[in-house]
Amino acid sequence: MSSLNASLAIALSGLDAEQGALATTANNVANANTPGYSRQVPVLQSSDPVVVSPLTLGTGVTLQSIESIRDPLLQSQIQQESQTQGQLNSLVSALQVTQVNFTSSTGDIGTAITNFFNSINQLSTSPSDLSLRQGVITAADNLATVFNTTADNLTSQNQNIDQSVVQSVGQINTLTQQIATLNDQISHLQNVGQSAGSFIDQRTQAINQLSSLVDVSVIPSNGTLTLTTGNGTPLVIGQQSFALTTAVTPSGLHDVYSQGTDITNSIASGALGGQLTARDQQIPAIQSQLDTLASGLAIAVNTVQAGGFELNGNPGTDLFAPPPAGVAGAAASLSVSITNPALIAASSDGTVGSNGNAEALYALGSQGIISGQTPSDYYSDIVFNVGNATSNATAEQSASNLVLQQLNDQNSTVSGVSLDEEAANMVQYQQAYDASAEVVTTINDMMETIINMSTLTT
Amino acid sequence: MRVNPNPYPDILAAIEQTQQQINTDEDQIASGKSVNVPSDNPAAAAVLVQNADQTSQADQFQRSIGSVQGEIQSANSTLNSVVESLQQAISLGVEGANGTLNEADRAAVATQVQGIQSQLLSLANVTYQGNYLFAGTASQTTPYVLDPSSPSGVIYQGNSGTNTITLGNHFTLQTNLPGSQLFSDSSNGVFQSIQDLITGLQNGNTASIGTAVTEVSSALNFVDSQQVFYGSALNQLTSQQTYLSSETAELAQQEDTAGGADLTAVITNLTSSQTSLQASLEAVGQTSQIDLFNYLK
Repeated sequence: MSSLNASLAIALSGLDAEQGALATTANNVANANTPGYSRQVPVLQSSDPVVVSPLTLGTGVTLQSIESIRDPLLQSQIQQESQTQGQLNSLVSALQVTQVNFTSSTGDIGTAITNFFNSINQLSTSPSDLSLRQGVITAADNLATVFNTTADNLTSQNQNIDQSVVQSVGQINTLTQQIATLNDQISHLQNVGQSAGSFIDQRTQAINQLSSLVDVSVIPSNGTLTLTTGNGTPLVIGQQSFALTTAVTPSGLHDVYSQGTDITNSIASGALGGQLTARDQQIPAIQSQLDTLASGLAIAVNTVQAGGFELNGNPGTDLFAPPPAGVAGAAASLSVSITNPALIAASSDGTVGSNGNAEALYALGSQGIISGQTPSDYYSDIVFNVGNATSNATAEQSASNLVLQQLNDQNSTVSGVSLDEEAANMVQYQQAYDASAEVVTTINDMMETIINMSTLTT
Repeated sequence: MRVNPNPYPDILAAIEQTQQQINTDEDQIASGKSVNVPSDNPAAAAVLVQNADQTSQADQFQRSIGSVQGEIQSANSTLNSVVESLQQAISLGVEGANGTLNEADRAAVATQVQGIQSQLLSLANVTYQGNYLFAGTASQTTPYVLDPSSPSGVIYQGNSGTNTITLGNHFTLQTNLPGSQLFSDSSNGVFQSIQDLITGLQNGNTASIGTAVTEVSSALNFVDSQQVFYGSALNQLTSQQTYLSSETAELAQQEDTAGGADLTAVITNLTSSQTSLQASLEAVGQTSQIDLFNYLK
């Protein structure tokens, strides 16, 4: 036999459950534009029935939990792709700055090389002419200056990237701390059987941000997550985060350390990975090519100078200051060591009118004096390499953007808040709430009938 | 099936991409170039570096040709004058060899030939922009000075050096002949023959005057033949100028092929990008007005 009180309890459970469901809808609508928010659905379950022989009677409904809808595989793919994108973003922006130095203009290295050899060709027409000799020194000065400026630009660009490295490490540490705290909160809630949906969303969002900075591996363990870098350096273990540190090396740039171990070379992706690739590989490769060019040119010119005679009939001396022995730094330090135009060794026989050695100097422009290539060809190779690196990274960046966009679309399809859906749910919950309230009213009427009945009998 | 309830990031990405394309197109139209930074087309950027180098070299060769031309023309016209002087000397020699002349007349002729000798001396010592043209590579040394102790009446102080200059990628040109070759040839020496003529006239020996006239005449022929060197050099310079002009035109064509913007294509792209940008913007405007909440009243 059921009682009116039991029915009232059932109706009340309906009111509670629908209110809870409506609150979920309200929360979804409120968070429709919250980054990283996964839509939530109420999990309603009918309460355990009671058996009053011979009947089995329902006891209403419970709002068992509020579940966040998410696809862990998609989220892990998004994190992976964010690492690639972060790396490419920082690499592309670095290379775009670099390539400006190699964009053709009247002030680029290629033009300065051509002008230098042109000035020697002009001198060859009248080898004792002091103004033409001065023209060679001026062109050599310009050449040295352009090399110096380009090398300095690359060095200061690398210093700027180095500052970004330090900033990235700071951001990584902030995020790993947040993630450790969220791990703590999530495991605490889960231990007491509560839903941690929005904390998990926040953690996912933080891991996405971390992924765009550094290569992260995510290992789930006991409700919390362990994060390591690609090579296994721990970033977060449960509720503890492990800060990365930076320290200046003898090169003047910062290396990245974890627990005292230098992990700079093992960071492959994320913005930090891209910054390190640009700083430690791409830009040094260009610098080294510039040094090879500057050094090879200076040595070849000096050698030919030494084989000729200056205007006073003495053997020629160095036109360029001898480049550093290890080649490194040759572009930054290239300089002209003579100021007296008479000292250009244009003569091959010691007479003032001979242009034999000027011709030999001029011929260097078309000889394979730089790693088997002419100076101009070698320079055009540098331009190609810089352009190609930039163009490849940009193409990869576009591809990665598309993939990430696609993944985010899919994720939004699963987890995004649809206002249409929420509106429909709202109507549904409201109707059920109204109906339960109607049941309460009816039970109230029936109660009153019974109460009036008993008044009548007494 | 659930659809993505938030299409805005996609629409924004599409708008950004279209705007990027519009910027690139506008850059190309503004500069007229398809390669504005090396990454636009790395291979073309490298070709353009070499192209700029070769174009600038060709311009320099033209300037150097201009400089060399003046010097060679000056040497050429000097040799013309030498030939004329030698012709006068031959006339005077023929006149002096005439047996009817008296001693005083011969002495007068001899004086005239001495005048020619000093003319020839100043021709052989001619300078161009401060440099002696016929001193070999000793361009600051006076090539010939009078010296009565020398059999030819003069001594050569220059050297036998010559200069060759590069005036094209595969073109070099010798620009001078030393005086020792032009005027002091062992069998056809200009100064030796004139000195012999003067001596003959002064001695009144018609036979030796006749021999000297023959010597002068063969010296004239020799100088004449050497002058061909300068004439031919001038011709080569002219044809090299023509070659360099066509090379420059070809390089300009190559530059345009490698790095010039195809304006027709770019403008067509720009127009279609602008249309698609407009469409994307309108799509945003329209989708944002629709959802179920608007209909629940």
